[in-house]
Amino acid sequence: MFKDLDPILHSQLRLAVMSLLISVKEAEFTFLKEKTNATAGNLSVQIQKLKEAGYIEVIKQFKDNYPQTICKITTPGIIAFEDYVKNLQVYLTQPK
Amino acid sequence: MEQEKKLTEQESLHLITMMINKAKESYHDTGIGAIMWGAVIAICSLVRLSEVQFGYKLPFDIYLLTLVAIIPQIFISIKEKKERKVKSYDDAYLDYIWLGFGISIFLLIQITNNIFGEWGSWANEYKNVTGKSASFRFSEYVAPLFLMLYGLPTFITGAACKFKPMLWGGIFCWVCCIIAIYTSIKIDLLLTAASAVLAWLVPGVIMEKEYRIYKKEQAQLNV
Repeated sequence: MFKDLDPILHSQLRLAVMSLLISVKEAEFTFLKEKTNATAGNLSVQIQKLKEAGYIEVIKQFKDNYPQTICKITTPGIIAFEDYVKNLQVYLTQPK
Repeated sequence: MEQEKKLTEQESLHLITMMINKAKESYHDTGIGAIMWGAVIAICSLVRLSEVQFGYKLPFDIYLLTLVAIIPQIFISIKEKKERKVKSYDDAYLDYIWLGFGISIFLLIQITNNIFGEWGSWANEYKNVTGKSASFRFSEYVAPLFLMLYGLPTFITGAACKFKPMLWGGIFCWVCCIIAIYTSIKIDLLLTAASAVLAWLVPGVIMEKEYRIYKKEQAQLNV
């Protein structure tokens, strides 16, 4: 039985962000931008969507007088990501 | 990267794998701390060896240099943490392992100093009674204890970061530990210096070189 893939995660940039965050404890916005090659505006919008879904936590602070944004994956985010990967595996292993 | 591009299942899996690998490759230690500690321990051991070999004594204990080295280490750690854009799960564990190592070394120094104090008076008493020096010398067994400790965090760091020079450096410390049990204090000091060079100094130089290449690549990407 095919389950629908999570629409929040089934988008290129959001999935890329979640894949990066699942591998680390926390990452700066600049790190995510550098690794995904996305524009700052685009990335901000997608991060906001992930935050609204409760998949990531966004911490805004100052570092050496410059604003700094740190992103962390949350427990619901980890569960959603794991479910997404499981469902992907089902799609890939079973004949359609 | 386009935000709303719909992906096929294969594309999704490929993207996940690619990003996880990118995240793994993002950690680069500057290697400065490893270079400094490798050099400090090697210098201390070689100076102590020259004291034993040529029968002179410096007006201070050369191992005090290790205490002095803690100050630049604090600055190095703060600077590296500030520059780091990403914090991995390994970072936190490794920080605790090296902190624990530092505390263990401090405790081992206290323990060995205490044993030296007790042993010294006992050995003198033995000499007074028997007229002979005691055949057992505790100082011959100090280096193996330290080498055993040196190997532990080095081996764990090498294994956790998949950095072979440090992994082999840790193993080398343990091999030297076994050899040092059966050798004289002069050889023990040489083995300690060799361990410091192979476990920290050489891996540190390799790390520093890799870090410079990484920084150069990053600078080119940002142009």
